[in-house]
Amino acid sequence: MREEEARDRAKRAVEIAVTAGASDAEARIVLARRFNAQARGERITKLDASDGRSLSMRLFLDGRKATLAGTHWSDEDIRAGVSAALEQARYAGVDPYAGLPDPSEIADRQLDLYDENVERRGDDERLDDVRDVERSIRAADARIDNSNGSSYHDACVTMALANSRGALRSYRGTQVALSASPVASEGAYRRTAHYGDASRFLSRLEAPGALAREAVRRTVLFCGASKPPTQTTAIVFDREVAAALLGDLFAACNASNVAVGNSWLAGRIGERIGSDSLEIHDDGTIPGALGSSPFDDEGVPTQRTTVFERGTLRSFLFDTYYARRLGARSTGNASGGGIGPNTFFLAPGERTLEALVAATTRGILVMETIGFATEHASGLYSRGARGIMIRDGELAEPIEEFTIAAPFPEILAGIDAVANDLKFDGSIASPSFRVAEMQVSGSLSAP
Amino acid sequence: MANDPLTARGAQRILDRALRDGGLYADVFCERRSTVQMRLQEGAIHEAGLAQTLGAGVRVVVGESAGYAYTEDLTEERLIEAAGRAAAIARLTAEGSARAARLDSLDRARDALYDRARTENAAPALFAALLERADIAARANEPRVVAVNAHIVDEVQELWIARSDGSFRFDRRPMVTLGVQCIARAGRERGTGYCADGGRTSIGFFDSTTPEELAREAARVAAVNLDARPAPAGEFETLIGAGGGGVLLHEAVGHGLEGDFNRRGVSLYSGRIGERVASECVTIYDDGDLPEERGSASFDDEGTTCGHTVLVERGVLRGYLHDELNARLMGMRSTGNGRRQSFRHLPEPRMCNTYMPPGEAPLDEMIASVRDGIYAKSFAGGQVDIGKGDFVFMIAEGYRIERGRLGAAVKNATIVGNGPDAMTKVTAVGNDARLARRHYTCGKGGQYVPVGVGMPTLKVSAMSLGGTEGA
Repeated sequence: MREEEARDRAKRAVEIAVTAGASDAEARIVLARRFNAQARGERITKLDASDGRSLSMRLFLDGRKATLAGTHWSDEDIRAGVSAALEQARYAGVDPYAGLPDPSEIADRQLDLYDENVERRGDDERLDDVRDVERSIRAADARIDNSNGSSYHDACVTMALANSRGALRSYRGTQVALSASPVASEGAYRRTAHYGDASRFLSRLEAPGALAREAVRRTVLFCGASKPPTQTTAIVFDREVAAALLGDLFAACNASNVAVGNSWLAGRIGERIGSDSLEIHDDGTIPGALGSSPFDDEGVPTQRTTVFERGTLRSFLFDTYYARRLGARSTGNASGGGIGPNTFFLAPGERTLEALVAATTRGILVMETIGFATEHASGLYSRGARGIMIRDGELAEPIEEFTIAAPFPEILAGIDAVANDLKFDGSIASPSFRVAEMQVSGSLSAP
Repeated sequence: MANDPLTARGAQRILDRALRDGGLYADVFCERRSTVQMRLQEGAIHEAGLAQTLGAGVRVVVGESAGYAYTEDLTEERLIEAAGRAAAIARLTAEGSARAARLDSLDRARDALYDRARTENAAPALFAALLERADIAARANEPRVVAVNAHIVDEVQELWIARSDGSFRFDRRPMVTLGVQCIARAGRERGTGYCADGGRTSIGFFDSTTPEELAREAARVAAVNLDARPAPAGEFETLIGAGGGGVLLHEAVGHGLEGDFNRRGVSLYSGRIGERVASECVTIYDDGDLPEERGSASFDDEGTTCGHTVLVERGVLRGYLHDELNARLMGMRSTGNGRRQSFRHLPEPRMCNTYMPPGEAPLDEMIASVRDGIYAKSFAGGQVDIGKGDFVFMIAEGYRIERGRLGAAVKNATIVGNGPDAMTKVTAVGNDARLARRHYTCGKGGQYVPVGVGMPTLKVSAMSLGGTEGA
């Protein structure tokens, strides 16, 4: 199905909903052609090529809201689904803020997100890439004696949106990703790291050889790691774990969490929370970035929103509903029925990560964290971690099986250096940064 | 619901096409799912949602390789086309050949672990009433609760699985979940509590496990966390709570025993069957055959009957969790643990319900035996590194133990440990084994499936607690 057809179907779904009694309706159609391959050793071990489709609708009935999602969209399917969803909507509370974006908020704009070279790729080229990664990890270091599989993924996605206030828009985008998961044996243990890159454009994707070498570096780095003593020390977050930490911060900036009291940032707009280095934006307009799109899932154009400016909290991130409820304007962050990041990122500093480490007398470069956010309300951060000790500005021994913890406000206020290694490889991105002091929990003995 | 979207004759033609270019094995996984959700915020139903999906995927297996293609368009023409795309893997590896056996007629019979007769989602009025009861009870019980968010999900999943060995089976799996989150607040301090239950049953479940019970529990935990003190940092003797503490088994041991990791030799448990991997008081089972548990099914997502698997018996590693592909490559039999999120995904070996049988220690004696430690009563979830065995889990409700007495609550913190190391340090097993409330979901390789966990209280002699207060 082509873009025009997707728009026609979305428009038709809205017409059916309105005829069935919805006071307003919105329909979004996503068509995706996906290709996934995995190689391990000499073989291609997974090959998955599918054309998928989905329809999501929001229906409004005099201030009540219901959603409908499905895989089928003949007139008959839509009529049956809409009628069941409207029946459910009758039980929802009347909510004065529920509704479509104002037509004046919907504007037309295009962004360059589509790479013909991704669409035109032949299966052989794709499989060559993933085989190349798999070969390269084994060639890069003699300690690599196994693999969890190297993966290639690409997708061509068409999104079409229509609503009963006359909006009818669509765009196309591509994605391409490559990753490796080398394994090194060390006694009874297997050392493994997962490293990858993703982009909208093939030409910007890290080359298979370089990507494999970085994955291997991250794997063998930890051979011989030990558990560090419990201590307080400076923590340098490598850019990947820095982005994971920003993901937890995003949850606290998400207006749907703020509105229900599930955010430690609620009620603190205008307050200084972080250090001068804390400069965070959400931007849906960065050309070619994975998180960019011309408009969000309600049709509102994406924008650049300053969330923290030199440590001061300036804005939360909104869709239309929570913007109305909290007296703000949508920031173009509607995503899949909720609020999501476009590209949520920390502004980079000037020096390299190496220079930042060299300027750290004592601390830990944290390369991996495990665990996930449960603390949007309380603002407490606590994660399992793996990293490398820094002594007198030099990387020393690898360490693992410890936790790092601090209240979020202390982490943000403690950011005293930011590196220049920002890369837009996901919808949340960060350069590496240093926090002056955090609690490290490891073995019993004091340092 | 409507009639079968996949017939034996149609499935036969798809399987024939799937194996035309080579391959050892093929299957068709056809799934119809109808899900109703409702959310309550600020005392009112905020949103009602309905999702209805129908699709099918065709898989071709050659050696350790699998080709796959799915479609939401279930015309025979599109399904045959998907079979042709899945067969690309056979054209690539050019080894093995098999013919699809003649398919049996659709097998609908199976002793029921759950009600397979329910074909429709429950009426929306019933959901709304349950959520409103939860909201009232949460606020009535604890005045510092400032926000109550509750949701209910009701699902009917129907599946038709046709395999090239001639098996063709149908199942209908119900699932219901009611969850209540409470946020308590005093000044700038906030505490969160969450409680949920349900399982492969219908909303009649909430006649006995009432929304009031779940709401009161969520409010109680929110208040405990609001009053909690910052957790200490360092190594402590730790009691892991009964029921939900089973997350420990799931992370510290279960994932490392999944067949794909062990077949590839990337798990620290690879090649260690028969070896001691835990202290003698540790026994761990995985079971897909428990009535109404989230991880249970009449058969798994490959059409293999689910059963009872001994993973660890008195400290000795006894078995892995297998799907068909990894079992065959290791010369073993599938344990019925081939699971997938939906027709858009390939099956992988996954846990069903993972639990430990009871020991003998009473809880009060276990508490009394700890001089300076932590009682981690319940958990919000966890994660593990398969190769090294390092795991974390996040405390949702925890307390200090000082000189054998339960002390102040500690704020949410992460516990970190190493699987075999922690399992070797288990020094006592409680007599209070139980399955946790049913709300856990496990993520692996981007696929999410419902699971169950259970455990008696365990005493572990040393674990690192990721608190913010230095010793």
